[in-house]
Amino acid sequence: MKSRVRNKARHLFLFFLVFVMGSCIWPPSSVEAKIYIDVSSPGIRQLPVSIISKGHVDAKKIEWVIKGDLETTGMFEFVDPDVPGAEIIAILEVDMSDGLKVLLSIRDLIENKEVLKKRFDASKAIIRTMAHSISNDIYKVATGKKGIFRTKISYMVKAAKNRKELRLMDWDGYRSRKLVSRGLTTTSNWSGDGRFLLYSSERNRNWNIYQLNRENGRESILFKSKGLNLIGGSSRDGLISFSSSKDGSSEIYTINIYGKKLKKLTKSFGIDVSPVFSPEGDKIAFVSDRGGTPQIYTIDSDGRHPKRITYEGSYNTQPSWSPESDWIAYAGRKNGKMQIFMVKSDGLGLRQLTESSNNESPSFSPDGLFIAFDSDRDGNRGIYIMKVSGEGQRRITPKHLKAIAPSWSPYLKK
Amino acid sequence: MKKILIILLVVLVAGCAKKYTKSTEEVTDSPRGSWEVVKEEGEAPDTAYAKEEGISERELSIAEMAKSVLTDVLFDYDKYDIRPESRPALDAAASFMNENMNLNIVIEGHCDDRGTNEYNLALGEKRAKSTKNYLVSLGVAASRIKKKTYGEEKPTCTMNSESCWQSNRRAHFVVVGKRN
Repeated sequence: MKSRVRNKARHLFLFFLVFVMGSCIWPPSSVEAKIYIDVSSPGIRQLPVSIISKGHVDAKKIEWVIKGDLETTGMFEFVDPDVPGAEIIAILEVDMSDGLKVLLSIRDLIENKEVLKKRFDASKAIIRTMAHSISNDIYKVATGKKGIFRTKISYMVKAAKNRKELRLMDWDGYRSRKLVSRGLTTTSNWSGDGRFLLYSSERNRNWNIYQLNRENGRESILFKSKGLNLIGGSSRDGLISFSSSKDGSSEIYTINIYGKKLKKLTKSFGIDVSPVFSPEGDKIAFVSDRGGTPQIYTIDSDGRHPKRITYEGSYNTQPSWSPESDWIAYAGRKNGKMQIFMVKSDGLGLRQLTESSNNESPSFSPDGLFIAFDSDRDGNRGIYIMKVSGEGQRRITPKHLKAIAPSWSPYLKK
Repeated sequence: MKKILIILLVVLVAGCAKKYTKSTEEVTDSPRGSWEVVKEEGEAPDTAYAKEEGISERELSIAEMAKSVLTDVLFDYDKYDIRPESRPALDAAASFMNENMNLNIVIEGHCDDRGTNEYNLALGEKRAKSTKNYLVSLGVAASRIKKKTYGEEKPTCTMNSESCWQSNRRAHFVVVGKRN
């Protein structure tokens, strides 16, 4: 008798669980997230948004950082909160009595309902980081996509006496700090998960590839050999590409993050350098002068089917593959100066993104919507960012600094 | 079996249930410290380079004589082949090496600053290589010659003029002691 009741109860319970689970997988439409801006459609309209900050006097600082973040995207129009017209309002209540606590509330003013309520807790006052986290949330509500506001850019600085330092800054140029100042370091790249910075450095007459663990600051050698070893891009699943002239001529190789499973992909008499992975990791774009001049090629990640994709100009180098699409940005020489171009991996759709002075070293943001690059348009070389349309070009490093070779991080957990 | 299913379902539902509640995020900063990987290293000029290799006083003066014989080899824009007009100087360099068997050299390849960094590093290496190959073809033992590249990283001048660019497109010799 008892067991039958227990069985029925169990069945009811199971049924209830399945029902609730079902409504999670197929949620009723009122819980579905509304998208206010479709980032993939051209001619994006600007979303009118208001921001109100209250509480601590430093609340304004957070608000300014958020506005700076959102403004760069060109997708938002800021409306004074006292004036009608905003579709979305973000309200920040900042409490700094014990650490830094922010209560964020985002309201849809058209449907008159709250779409996000979130509390942010930090043990100390890390205002910029907090603001960037909030920007990411506002951006996510507006576009449905992950924001890049907590990403970082590594870059090189020409220090005195022909030395080059590796440095790291926030995506907007703030909080720059030195990471490596020993030797001559050129080119840096990030591991697919953002945990390591990889770079080539010349020390004691050897060019080797190093990796820096961002969590504990420890440096180790990823690859060393005689000849010239230059780091390339990483794939999402832990493969690292690089070029090495250990066999006499500069060729393309891949290796894993542990320094194992070395694979040689090219075999030519000329120069093969600067490899980068496609987003899926199935192809690599690189530079080769096998045709007589340096041009961009693609190759399968197993070394098969090398294919030239640039045919305009006699000097095309430094490819960067968008993490989200088929577009490859590169630096090409035109009328004696270097400019940033973009082409699809099949070689079609060539676009020029910069016009004057010298512009080099393009690097895509992880959402594929921005490109960082260096330019000498203001005298000293500095790091600039722009949208992939070429619009919104602005400098993010200070004018007195000779900064070059930016490398944009993936989305970072910290 | 049923117990496992129930536990699974409860876990799944618990996961779903979060969507409906207020959420909290703890914000932490990336590990910031003043750690810097290693300290700075000074740059060694040529003679200090030679001293480092343990050369004696007598050899040091030959090294200085070598400087007038082992002159920079210049290259055309974007090219790494030895020009015909460079041959006489390289022939003299090879003779000098063959007369002074206790000398080893490093050939550094350099580029002008037009063009991009990684490609220029590889191009510099090619310039060092063609220069070495030429000397080896004239009987200098390959083991006495090391190659290096600096690409556009160590220019001798920084003006925007063809004469400055030309002087940067070079293979440069550095004498070191006999060390195998």
